[in-house]
Amino acid sequence: MVFLMEENDRLLQPASQEERRRYYREEWDVKDIPEFISNSIIKREFGFDHMGRGPNDRYRVFRSMDLLRKFLRYRAPFAAYSSVAFYNKPRRREGWIKSELVFDVDAKDIPIRECGCAGVCEICLEQAREIVCNIMDTLKGDLGLKNIHVIYSGRGYHLRVFDEEVMGLDSDVRGQIVQYIIGAEVPRNEYAQDGITYKLEHFTIPFGYPKVFTERTKYAILHLKDHMLIDDINPKLLKDAIKNQEILHEDKWGMFKGKIGPQRYQRLIKSIAYLNMGLVDAKVSIDLKRILRLPSSLHSMVSMKCMEVKNIEKFNPLRDAVPRFVYERKV
Amino acid sequence: MVAVAFINPFSEEGRQIVRELGDLNSVYEENGNLIDLVIHSRSQDIADDESIPHNLIELALKRLEWYIRKKNNPDFDYKKYSYLYNPQITRFDVIAFYLLAQAISVKFGPNSRESRAMAECQGKIMESRIGELSIRDKKHLLNTILGSMLVGDVKWTIFADLLSSRKIRLSDLVMDQGSIILDEEEFTESFQDKLENRDPHKMYELLIGDHIKELILNKMIMQKTEDYITEVYKKSQRKVEPNPILLDLADGISEVLSKTYVSYGYHGTADENMEASPFNNDVFPPCVKTVLEGIKSGGRNDAIILFLTPFLSYARLYPDVFRRNITLKISDVDPQLEAVEKEILPLIYEAAERCSPPLFEDQPQEKVNINAKMGFGMHSDIELKHEGETTWYTPMGCEKVKLHLPSLCKPDETCKKIGNPLSYYIRRLNDIKYHKTDLKD
Repeated sequence: MVFLMEENDRLLQPASQEERRRYYREEWDVKDIPEFISNSIIKREFGFDHMGRGPNDRYRVFRSMDLLRKFLRYRAPFAAYSSVAFYNKPRRREGWIKSELVFDVDAKDIPIRECGCAGVCEICLEQAREIVCNIMDTLKGDLGLKNIHVIYSGRGYHLRVFDEEVMGLDSDVRGQIVQYIIGAEVPRNEYAQDGITYKLEHFTIPFGYPKVFTERTKYAILHLKDHMLIDDINPKLLKDAIKNQEILHEDKWGMFKGKIGPQRYQRLIKSIAYLNMGLVDAKVSIDLKRILRLPSSLHSMVSMKCMEVKNIEKFNPLRDAVPRFVYERKV
Repeated sequence: MVAVAFINPFSEEGRQIVRELGDLNSVYEENGNLIDLVIHSRSQDIADDESIPHNLIELALKRLEWYIRKKNNPDFDYKKYSYLYNPQITRFDVIAFYLLAQAISVKFGPNSRESRAMAECQGKIMESRIGELSIRDKKHLLNTILGSMLVGDVKWTIFADLLSSRKIRLSDLVMDQGSIILDEEEFTESFQDKLENRDPHKMYELLIGDHIKELILNKMIMQKTEDYITEVYKKSQRKVEPNPILLDLADGISEVLSKTYVSYGYHGTADENMEASPFNNDVFPPCVKTVLEGIKSGGRNDAIILFLTPFLSYARLYPDVFRRNITLKISDVDPQLEAVEKEILPLIYEAAERCSPPLFEDQPQEKVNINAKMGFGMHSDIELKHEGETTWYTPMGCEKVKLHLPSLCKPDETCKKIGNPLSYYIRRLNDIKYHKTDLKD
């Protein structure tokens, strides 16, 4: 969706206190909070940011959705959060039971951003959406996870996984999952059998981790732009990679590697693997006691609704997550 | 046919051997059958009586000695231990395995360096034994043992413990819809359509084949070894006095593990340890230098408490912790805690002060966490009487740093050769030490 200049001036601007109040009193409905929160409300810790200085009002618990509704209506916080963890004693964050497995894709932190904007814009939000789709494919296809909810966070997306078999995993396993789904390491390219070593590049293996790495690398290479500064990729290598991007549209990796040169290709993919670490915020995934923005609440910094996305393929945040008060702003 | 217990001491066959042992005191008795088997093992190269285990206790220690020598010495003469590769030793070997595991449990407990050395030793022994088997025996054993340990559809999540301890990496496994593909038929069924112009059999053999099965089996048994040590430890906590045989063996284990033999490849000399010595800040890795300058954005607390505190305390007091296999307390190397108070804490506090905002300004209670990470419990002052209430944290590896504190990781050339910031520090210290010696020569 393309916005007129006038509309763009209204979007992505911080919300005033009055706008926050209007949002929670006129537009927000407690029923917008997804069931995965409402049906576990007494097990979760809630946190709030009232002044825009970070969520320092923490360790809050609500015994019912109605109490949470009243709190949000009257306090209209700058930001609202709930824990990914389920506790027996959420007020003290004690008696940990399990935690959602979460992945945080923030549009402003995407390592290879086509737009180069200072905050977030339509282009990088769309990139974040594409990355989320790719990660979901891996979570479902490789890891067999099924109970996945996508939340638009206001400046990116949260993937929240509720499959019971992953909710008890510790930080270290979660760290490994992150590294797998984002392609954070170049796969080995030598495989031995009966004392003979065979060379198999990642792009010749259409399954498992090498396939994930190939997909993430392809995505990165196709989004390279000549203004970018990337560690270990000199301007000439960047230029050559961009020049040959077209070849990868048809997945002709052998030809691409040939054009770049084998040693420079290794350097390129190594740098991309390092950059891939930034596709998701790993700290969020490995933190079992993290609080995440509450779906349905307002992201006051950019005046966007944090909301559950039912159909990620068709979701457009600048159409679907803009609160009414934004359109009523005077430019 | 090779016995299953030769590879897997936890098998029913292995447990039966233990049940048949009878009197525990017999483990000290000279065992003629064992000696005979050692002397007559194929390719053995034993020229002295000292190299022969005369009883089950000595066999247990030889097992560990083999591992330590193999680990630390590239020119290790394995023929002195060729009896360990002889399948006929199974009956004695299984007992030796359980003796070691129980001794480590009662004296050192789980999560000790001794416990880790035991699991690694078991992994290496299995690896070497499987490597010596004929292809037929190898296939048979792998399929039999894995078949009994992994039943039905194997989901990756059953390996949570192995993934958590990084014994296995998720990227080592080939998965489809959450199931781990180990069987060739399953592989063909899952991926045949994607394998254009490639022989599925060949791809299966290269990508999975016996080596992934072997990897999984090996790591599962290492994990079982650690779990067994934990289980025995818990039981031993309920008993008043552990068996003196096990305590004696534990002393022997300490002695074997404290010998490092030969190390450090290109620079090393026999029996040389990296001594505790004052800091050389110039050779700290880039990530440590960054934290010492103060953290200006996110991750301040973790950087100071989880990252810097273990690094500095080990770098100053027990730099070769990863090479040696014994658990030390800070007071073992710094009995008066002088280095802690005059060198380590000041550096940590200065780094904390340089953070923005300074760490102790808004969270003074974090000083307690620093003390806890050095093993002195959750107390505001470091006192010997509290030592051991918490674990002395070992320094975070590079992999963890990349995940927890990605902004710290700006690798230089040396970083590419190491996996832990502490190894970086030792490497650079050695470079300086040997460069100086070379110049003198």
